[in-house]
Amino acid sequence: MFPDLRRDVLYPIVGGVVLFALFVGFGLVYQGQLGGAERLVTFALIDAVIVLGIQIYVGNTGILSFGHIGFGAIAGYAFALSAISPAEKAKRISDAPFGLADVQLSPWLAVGVAVAATLVVAFVVGVGLARSGAESGAVSATVITLALLFVTHEVARNWPDLTGGDRAGLSFRIGGTLDSRVPIYVALLVTIVIARLYAQSRSGRLAVAAREDNLASRAMGVNPLVQQMVALLISVAVVSVGASLRVYEKGSILPGDLFFNLTLVTLVMLIVGGRRSVTGTLLGVAVITAGRELARRLGQDGFEVFGIGLDDAPLDWIFRENLKSVFLGVSMLGFMIWRPSGLLDDWELDRWFHARSARSSEPPTDPLPILEPDDSTPLVVEGVNVTFGGFRALTDVGIEARKSEVVGIIGPNGAGKTTLLNVITGLVESSSGSVVLGGADLTSAPSFEIARSGLVRTFQNLRLFTALTVRENVEVSALVAATSRRHQPSPDVDGLLAAAGLWEHRDRRARELDYGTSRRLELARATAMAPAYLLLDEPTSGMSDSESLLMIEQVRRMAGLVGAGVVVIDHDLNFIIGICDRIYCLDCGEVIAHGSPAEIQADPIVQAAYLGAAAQA
Amino acid sequence: MAELLQNLIDGLGRGSIYALLALGVAVIFGVMHLLNFAHGELITVSGYAAFWAINAGWSWYLTVPLIVVVSVATSLVIERIAFSRVRGADDFTLLLTSFGVHFVVSAVFLLYVSASFKTFARPGWVTDTYSVGSLRVEVFDTVVIAVTVVALIATTLLLQRTMFGLALRAAAADFDTARLMGVRSDSVIRGAFALSGVLAGIAGVFWLMRAGSTFPTAGINPMLKGVLAALIGGLGSLRGAVLGGFALGLAEVLLRSRLPDSVASLTEGVVFLLIALLFIFRPQGLVAVAHAERV
Repeated sequence: MFPDLRRDVLYPIVGGVVLFALFVGFGLVYQGQLGGAERLVTFALIDAVIVLGIQIYVGNTGILSFGHIGFGAIAGYAFALSAISPAEKAKRISDAPFGLADVQLSPWLAVGVAVAATLVVAFVVGVGLARSGAESGAVSATVITLALLFVTHEVARNWPDLTGGDRAGLSFRIGGTLDSRVPIYVALLVTIVIARLYAQSRSGRLAVAAREDNLASRAMGVNPLVQQMVALLISVAVVSVGASLRVYEKGSILPGDLFFNLTLVTLVMLIVGGRRSVTGTLLGVAVITAGRELARRLGQDGFEVFGIGLDDAPLDWIFRENLKSVFLGVSMLGFMIWRPSGLLDDWELDRWFHARSARSSEPPTDPLPILEPDDSTPLVVEGVNVTFGGFRALTDVGIEARKSEVVGIIGPNGAGKTTLLNVITGLVESSSGSVVLGGADLTSAPSFEIARSGLVRTFQNLRLFTALTVRENVEVSALVAATSRRHQPSPDVDGLLAAAGLWEHRDRRARELDYGTSRRLELARATAMAPAYLLLDEPTSGMSDSESLLMIEQVRRMAGLVGAGVVVIDHDLNFIIGICDRIYCLDCGEVIAHGSPAEIQADPIVQAAYLGAAAQA
Repeated sequence: MAELLQNLIDGLGRGSIYALLALGVAVIFGVMHLLNFAHGELITVSGYAAFWAINAGWSWYLTVPLIVVVSVATSLVIERIAFSRVRGADDFTLLLTSFGVHFVVSAVFLLYVSASFKTFARPGWVTDTYSVGSLRVEVFDTVVIAVTVVALIATTLLLQRTMFGLALRAAAADFDTARLMGVRSDSVIRGAFALSGVLAGIAGVFWLMRAGSTFPTAGINPMLKGVLAALIGGLGSLRGAVLGGFALGLAEVLLRSRLPDSVASLTEGVVFLLIALLFIFRPQGLVAVAHAERV
């Protein structure tokens, strides 16, 4: 069960150490081959820390941030201002505010100050991002981060008392610059392991679920904003350490050092290797560092770089100074056009190890017990009214359900069935009415709260976390259930996969599944929340008659595993009549009939409204 | 009062250029859902054209149409080479594609021209002013405002009265449905880039007349103004973009004249901060565009 100590802790740590060894080893070989590249490799090691820091946020949440180097600038100045000796400060910034002129901390304490100061800013920015409705790909969030980058830069340029302004720079000596690589190695190793552990952690997985499908994640009880904040704070802390190291190594800081150029370089590194992967991110840092250096030297010396006397006259239109800028721009553009997910996409070294070493495990042999539903928590929906503009989608609709029964909602297209489900699960706001689950009023609660309280839905148009495996999809709900639904035992993931007939597919990605299997996965993912009620939106849509009949068994079995009641919308009358104990019929946003399947079938109003002329004939 | 009126006129002049840029950004966002961070490159490229033409002895009368033509051509070429290949990609890819275009264009000028400023003579009347009562009005601002008004009216007519305009508005409202109704996506998107190029060309004429110089990263500033103004107005809303342009122009002028001297040089930063705050408290911008997600 979770956390799977081997997969989520041991392997990421071991894999992280291996990645570190590979990266550093490559750096040392590179530096040995190429005279005078020590400094290049040192900065590549520091850049790797910074880019991995960015990856923790951008990779896991899918939100494009231009602001992380702005955070880096804040950290860089905080570090410099705390570490520089008062004598050095007196030369440049004798009027430093906040009594900073007399402060001198040891460099490692100064890094701590830098991280702490930057985290405060990050928290404020994070609250702002949350308020702006940040989600994967959100333009507003990207612009807020861009604003941070520019504001930081402007402040640094225009506050010479604090930063020495644009030209002077804080050239400082704290017994020289960083004179050993050991601190950088330590920082990089720790960063790689943190980045991998975070991705496998509860918060990381929930953030990734929200990245894949924000709405579906909320319907599974995930509050994306909390996970985004966690990712942001960890990410900014790492970037702050990296930026401090950069300033320390360089021995000075200027507003332009941590601004647009570094933002560009780090973003290109991130996307080229694969922003969703720690392994890929490191690969990107290596490839771009080496590529830039090659471009720089080609621009300077042409083919002589390779020690061969080739005539480079035919290429002298490209072997020019500044070739490395073109290299960066073309890398960014080329990857976005031809391979937007980067070289490795989301491939991870340690996951590959784990998958290969995993014994061909057998499905669990003991079937999960069937729980006896109790009727302690009825679902009561009353007097719901919804209007879209001038259109009354629902008028005074009420339904009731008990955990021991399967309640169906039928009605022609546009009758308001899905709207009703959206109101119950908090995706659509009703103008009046109430949703009460076992005495707890859930009216207008946020959708993730409703899901955690025990009302979990599936979607008419499948909304799986498509980049995740079948197992990971189910684990997202199991993770949420483990903390939010303690009173209710959440089912064993292995057992659930076996019961849902998904065992053989467990390591496939959700996007590779056929339609019927995807439907079963949606059902299993909802069941893993151990809900009080499963709310199913057209579970048989697009299925053949025989598949629909199998779905009856499937729904009953899954609901039985967690003792959940079922509320189901469907068009397929055979399915509805086969599975339901009671049926509500909606037409034009009103309940027009209600009763047992037999009563509904016999009801002339239902026949007219829903079954239409065909039934009367 | 007089000072406020003065600010208003200055702000309108500045805001006119921003409005033209923002409208170009909004038009493209409408058809492609692309926030075009490469919009300023149209001005970078036409700036180098202006540099070449003026220094080759062309008069500004000839250079003005050249700038507009180069801007449109650049817009279409960029669409063809880059944006046509990422149609329908996710927002993350689209954003970084436009950033990539921006970096490639500036890097190419860095490689083949130089990192330094290239200057050209500005028309003599750019700095002339005349007085109305106690107000000093720049001839330049007057021309800018007048031309912008004409350009906006022409654009409105184009959008309201022509088949292309209808197709473009339909595509902006709902691209998939518009395609199902027979709107040809290729021609609408290319048309949008051409229109955006014309608007950027007109804005570019004024931008370059005032600047009298260009350099590889000259596009950043106009790009930021256009993108920010479009964001202020609410992305996807064409009317909002124009409003956003004027709002941004006025805000800059007011901040510059009203902020205490010690922070006046922070105007850009303050504008950015205000926009971040706008996004935090009103993420949909000034003019909200309804987006419904079907579940």
